[in-house]
Amino acid sequence: MEPGGMAQHDFLSQPVSMGTTIMAASYDGGVVMGADSRTSTGTYIANRATDKITPLTDSIYICRSGSAADTQNLSRYVQWFLEQHGMELGDEPEVKTAAKLAQMMAYQNKNFLQAGLIVAGWDKHEGGSVYAIPLGGTLVKTPFTIGGSGSAYIYGLCDKLWRPNMTEEECRAFVVKAVSHAMARDGSSGGCIRTVTISKDGVKRTFTPGDQVPVAAGELPPPQRAVPAQV
Amino acid sequence: MAQAGGFSFDLCKRNEFLEARGMKGPGFTKTGTTIAGVIFKDGVVLGADTRSTAGTTVADKNCEKIHYIAPNIYCCGAGTAADTENVTGMVASQLELHRYATGTQSRVITAMTLLKSHLFRYQGHVSAALVLGGVDFRGPHLFTVYPHGSTDSLPFCTMGSGSLNAMAVFEAGYKDDMSKEEAMELVARAIRSGVMNDLGSGSNVDLCIISKEGVEYKRNHEYLQGKTYERQFPQRFAAGSVPVVRERVYDIRKAVTVVEGEPMEMES
Amino acid sequence: MSIFEYNGSAIVAMAGKECVAIGSDLRFGVQLQTLATDYKKIYKIHDQLFLGLAGLGTDAETLSQRFAFKHNLYRLREERDIKPSAFGQMVSATLYERRFGPYFCQPVIAGLEPDGTPYLCGMDSIGAQETAKDFMVAGTATDSLLGICESLWRPDLGPEELFETVSQALLSGQDRDCLAGWGAVVYVITKDKVIARTLKGRMD
Repeated sequence: MEPGGMAQHDFLSQPVSMGTTIMAASYDGGVVMGADSRTSTGTYIANRATDKITPLTDSIYICRSGSAADTQNLSRYVQWFLEQHGMELGDEPEVKTAAKLAQMMAYQNKNFLQAGLIVAGWDKHEGGSVYAIPLGGTLVKTPFTIGGSGSAYIYGLCDKLWRPNMTEEECRAFVVKAVSHAMARDGSSGGCIRTVTISKDGVKRTFTPGDQVPVAAGELPPPQRAVPAQV
Repeated sequence: MAQAGGFSFDLCKRNEFLEARGMKGPGFTKTGTTIAGVIFKDGVVLGADTRSTAGTTVADKNCEKIHYIAPNIYCCGAGTAADTENVTGMVASQLELHRYATGTQSRVITAMTLLKSHLFRYQGHVSAALVLGGVDFRGPHLFTVYPHGSTDSLPFCTMGSGSLNAMAVFEAGYKDDMSKEEAMELVARAIRSGVMNDLGSGSNVDLCIISKEGVEYKRNHEYLQGKTYERQFPQRFAAGSVPVVRERVYDIRKAVTVVEGEPMEMES
Repeated sequence: MSIFEYNGSAIVAMAGKECVAIGSDLRFGVQLQTLATDYKKIYKIHDQLFLGLAGLGTDAETLSQRFAFKHNLYRLREERDIKPSAFGQMVSATLYERRFGPYFCQPVIAGLEPDGTPYLCGMDSIGAQETAKDFMVAGTATDSLLGICESLWRPDLGPEELFETVSQALLSGQDRDCLAGWGAVVYVITKDKVIARTLKGRMD
């Protein structure tokens, strides 16, 4: 509707943004990436089952937070550059190449973008690796990182729980636990938990539906569903 | 005068000046809308209301909001009417040329990518909020496209000022693998809830059912709002009831005379 | 103040049985000061196609000249007059080209297609087309015109009755608008003639 006419729905004019919890952690032999599934426009949840973990190549993924439009389109450019680079190389691109590419896009267009990114994946040279690309367009290689509005609530938890040389299962449990705690405290994070595990054996995805997300302190357990959700 | 295409910005400076002098810019026709789509067993159902508004005035009581993209793809539009009309038209023509070049059926994801690229380039200034649906060789697809160029892929989605009303109906009534009739009923109910409860949406319900078998475009599937008041004794004005000062009549019949010609002598 | 209210205008078009009519008021003013009372807002594109331009007078003038120019080029290329529906598309495209710096004009197009069926269409200032089978209005008096047209219009009006209906609607509609009035002009387009009539209206 016209401004000044009938009441304006704020979510229609606001950009779609992902008030998010995203993270990635390395373990012995690979990486686990995790994210919630909430996308909101203002106070309205535009998508409650979003996939914020987007493939860049077969074995490199990117976690997106910030403006949905900016991060989706940035990811498409990186996908396209990596596709060409892979053909020239005659091999799978390295994770650090993908991360640098994403960082360059984020840095060179920093005045026009709102994008907090995590690039992670597996390559044969360095094994599993995690790169954080926060808002200004810095590139940081870390053993694990968290991002998005929900991450503020779980720094302490992650510092406490993460340790080197975890097994794949331990690492995934850590990620799911951390994201679930962020979702409990952050109003802009919620829905389901998606994880992507990348190792030399390939890519595995898990999906934790909303009623199976671990319950945080003080929360009521979810109501029983007539038909259990498919995992 | 001749130019390659694209937008022209030559009046921007002038209009900016006028606005600085206290002239309010024009309001555009918007579609304060309810649009929605659902994936069912073998296709997608798209739905839309038919009201378009200019300010608080209803500009058109029965407009078309489900736009053609390709023979197997249609798109519902909300936002500024001119933008939804033109952005869908542009993508439709790009895909038509692409089909001529490749000889293959258009894919829904191609349409989605073209739409989001265009909208992202204009950073939300081209205000088109779309629900894109279609069936290609990979099966049924449904996307929402936001004005800033982000997209979502979901089994059911809504857009426009009535999207909350429609989404409430979907969240309550959606099931996986519905039959065509179930899906049509659900979408019609979602649009109806927008028509009845959202002031920006109104009039009738349009549906478009796309499956592998083809497209059924059900214009005014539910004709909810016919004129409730019709004059019992319609006003008839006798000729000459209006004060005419001057009259001029132009004869515009085309005078065509056919002249038979003599066959021409040809030299060998 | 809105830029559309700078000069003031009232335009109505209605479809009848194998005929259409389009009319406008005759006032030209700058805000509340009236400068002329013989200023038509209807432009002839060809015998069977008329264009009404409401809104800012200077832009209406510019646009009418651009459309006349474009139609001349069309006639040179195609050796025929443009169809009203095609002309509608052209106007829409011309306005949308200026999406981010528009002409402050709302066009109304009225014409007869080659098969004699009436064509009516209106637009906002950036070319969002709205086709109607009954009537179309534009200008500063739209609120009052819309109501009276909704009430007076009937399907299948003949040329004479259509003229009376459009005229009654236009005169009573513009009487409730300070910025439009001072008489009116109405064109009735049929298959073989165009009737142009100037109407007497209130001069206040």
